[in-house]
Amino acid sequence: MSLIDEDQELVAAAINGSANAWEKLVKRYEGKIYNQGLRLMGNSSDAMDLTQEVFLGLYRNLHRFRGDAKFSTWIFRIAHNKAIDLSRRNRFLPSRTQIEMQEEIDALEAVHGASSFEPEKAIGELQQNNQIARILGKLSIEQRLVVELKVFQSLTFEEIAIMQDVSANTVKTRFYAALKKLKAVSEEYYALP
Amino acid sequence: MPCPKTEYLIQEYFADDLAPVAREEIEVHFNSCEYCSNELEVLLRSQSDLSQWQDQQVPHWDRGMELFRREHSVINEGRGFWSGWQWISTAVSLAMLAVLLLNVNVVSNEEGFSISFDALGAQNAYLDARMLAFEQGQKEAMDALVQRIEDSQEGNNIELLQVVMEQAQQTTIENLEVIYAYFERQRLQDLEDMRVGYQELVDNDFATIRSLQQIAQFISYQGEIR
Repeated sequence: MSLIDEDQELVAAAINGSANAWEKLVKRYEGKIYNQGLRLMGNSSDAMDLTQEVFLGLYRNLHRFRGDAKFSTWIFRIAHNKAIDLSRRNRFLPSRTQIEMQEEIDALEAVHGASSFEPEKAIGELQQNNQIARILGKLSIEQRLVVELKVFQSLTFEEIAIMQDVSANTVKTRFYAALKKLKAVSEEYYALP
Repeated sequence: MPCPKTEYLIQEYFADDLAPVAREEIEVHFNSCEYCSNELEVLLRSQSDLSQWQDQQVPHWDRGMELFRREHSVINEGRGFWSGWQWISTAVSLAMLAVLLLNVNVVSNEEGFSISFDALGAQNAYLDARMLAFEQGQKEAMDALVQRIEDSQEGNNIELLQVVMEQAQQTTIENLEVIYAYFERQRLQDLEDMRVGYQELVDNDFATIRSLQQIAQFISYQGEIR
């Protein structure tokens, strides 16, 4: 059975009240949504808020899922819309200080939660992720979303255009501008003493 | 030198559904235009840097299970074979507690099994006698052991004392020899010191006599002058 069929079965079972099916469905996608949240929101607290809101939204609209689109596409569309909502609600991106404070908390959480028993590796990965999140934080939410969908979700410009309800050319322009900005921010970042 | 086509061509380059002919044309331009080529390289590197992201674990959360169960009135959904046995350990613990609190006695003999509650009194005398005999036996064994250890200890002490005394004698002889040698050395040193002292004294006396003679000569000379 393919993952898509399994998703549809789990959704059907969850609609019929199976808590096990719901839990499996959440476990299957929570990692992707949470990491998407980390990249879009820049810190674990907002990423967790986003994750919870996505699954709450999913739960409330589960009966609307018809199976004519992939479940993954559907959930990522919910995550996309929730990220915009959350970003607008926060209004401002977290300041550098907040990110740095969060890094220490995140590092501890990650080390405690690491199943690989390799804390040094976990901290190294975390620092790398924080650096990527910090650079992404310099982009506007629209640019960040395009980068997220194009680079991390591997969507085409047309798919992104449909999701964002804009033209494909707008998406291309946003992506190009985002890459230019990332280049400039990276150069600035590495030029710091 | 900046190229007016850079933005458009790079935007198209990143499109997944670009026609092969169009892609080929773009690549031909990139091969001939240094500015576009450099720009593309830098942007591809930026994109590649983002791909270094390592997925992090999700912190613990209840996955909306409480909400789901509440809204679907799920009380206890089966979770496979072991789910029905989850209360076994609690039930066994309670049964053992009851056995302890009620002093349950289970006797198995040729007449079969019998279970009685609070039946420890009947067995107390037998247990006391067994305990007394056991205690007596242990005490005797302990006394014998102590006696053996004492004897052994005494023998060891005597041997140890002998060894110590022999060593003390040996040490004393050696010490006396050392002391004698020291005294002898000291005596010779004293004799030498004394000899040197006498010599100095004799020298001093001689010098004194010479001085007195000179004074006497001086006085007699002065008397002759007058």
